Amino acid sequence: MADDIELIKRAQAEDIDAFCTLAERYARRIHLLASHYCRNQQDAEDLSQEVWLKAYQALQSFRFDSSFYTWLRRITINAFLNHRRSGFFRRQGQTTAVELMPLDSETLSESSLASPENIYNKLLFESVVQALSELTPSQRLAFLLRHYEGMSYEEIANAMNCSTGTVKKGVWRAITKLRARLSTESESQEALTSLANEY
Amino acid sequence: MHNCREVKERLTELILEGRSDSELAAELNPCAECRAEFDGVNATLRTTTRVRETAIPADSYWPGYHARLRDKLSHVQVRRRKENTGASFAPLRLCVNFLLRPVPVPLAAASVVFALLGLLAFQSTRKPAAPQSVVVQVPVTVPVVQEKLVTRVVYRDRYLPSRNSKRTGADLRAENTFAKSQMPRPDDVPTLAGFKPAADVKLTVIKGGTPNER
Repeated sequence: MADDIELIKRAQAEDIDAFCTLAERYARRIHLLASHYCRNQQDAEDLSQEVWLKAYQALQSFRFDSSFYTWLRRITINAFLNHRRSGFFRRQGQTTAVELMPLDSETLSESSLASPENIYNKLLFESVVQALSELTPSQRLAFLLRHYEGMSYEEIANAMNCSTGTVKKGVWRAITKLRARLSTESESQEALTSLANEY
Repeated sequence: MHNCREVKERLTELILEGRSDSELAAELNPCAECRAEFDGVNATLRTTTRVRETAIPADSYWPGYHARLRDKLSHVQVRRRKENTGASFAPLRLCVNFLLRPVPVPLAAASVVFALLGLLAFQSTRKPAAPQSVVVQVPVTVPVVQEKLVTRVVYRDRYLPSRNSKRTGADLRAENTFAKSQMPRPDDVPTLAGFKPAADVKLTVIKGGTPNER
């Protein structure tokens, strides 16, 4: 299997296949961030694909002085913040209820997804996304980068062009929101779990 | 000295930075309230970590995702090639677009007035440039006009005898004889016989009796 450097060089020569191979390697990580940042799957797909399009257009500027994912993550952060500025999420409305992931027959036909534990986790995930949606985009992004990406506060502050204190405050506020949301819904989730078991 | 407020402020860092259990125990064990706070935050983060993978769609989702991405990338590539092809005409296209852009009439009139004023100001301040003299030797054939002055002096008797004149006929004959003697003989009369004029001939005819009358 070709390594990243070889694929990048081929992609810089406008080889779309090489770039798509790179995308297949990292698409899940980018999509994971996007799905936590957005509130429905369609927005998450649009945003993650926009990241890849921006990466493809900017690939000539990649100088191999960092890992490809580090470079890609910087593009991801900028794309997320620009989406925030362009009102991409405002048009969805900040107070609308979170859209549950469709539990259609195709999805449920996969045995791993149809398990009660998985359904419970999906409901928990919706609660997490709901809690994150009540934060500002910067706070939400700071939490995702700190908790899921393991970036330091300084790295996040540098990437988001804000102070370290702002990042810490955002992360703390996100955890407080999540804690409150998950604790208040624990009882209803237990009821939903029993419902899922019956289903 | 244990400080609950300080510990709560650092709680997130303590968890996210992956401190060892001994360090956490040293910080949290003395205070049940801080310990409960830590457990609550820790449980929240563990829950979010556990459901994180739920956000990733099933395997059946990804072929369609990559097909849509490939389609978008192809469009980007085609557009980029078109832009590269038309890049050489970009300045001309910019000029044309700028000139053809609709402009409000007052703005256009003001622009024209300002342009004329600027042109006038430029003309008034501009010094005439000294012409650069260049010596070029060109052989030139100058036609020389050959001029030959043919002069014939005609004497005319201005003072005719009056009625009361007492000059006699002999006097008059004598005067005529003198005048005739002053006239050139037919052999001495200058003629143009044998004269070969140049290409350009300038003839000056002098007539009249006074020297300055021509």
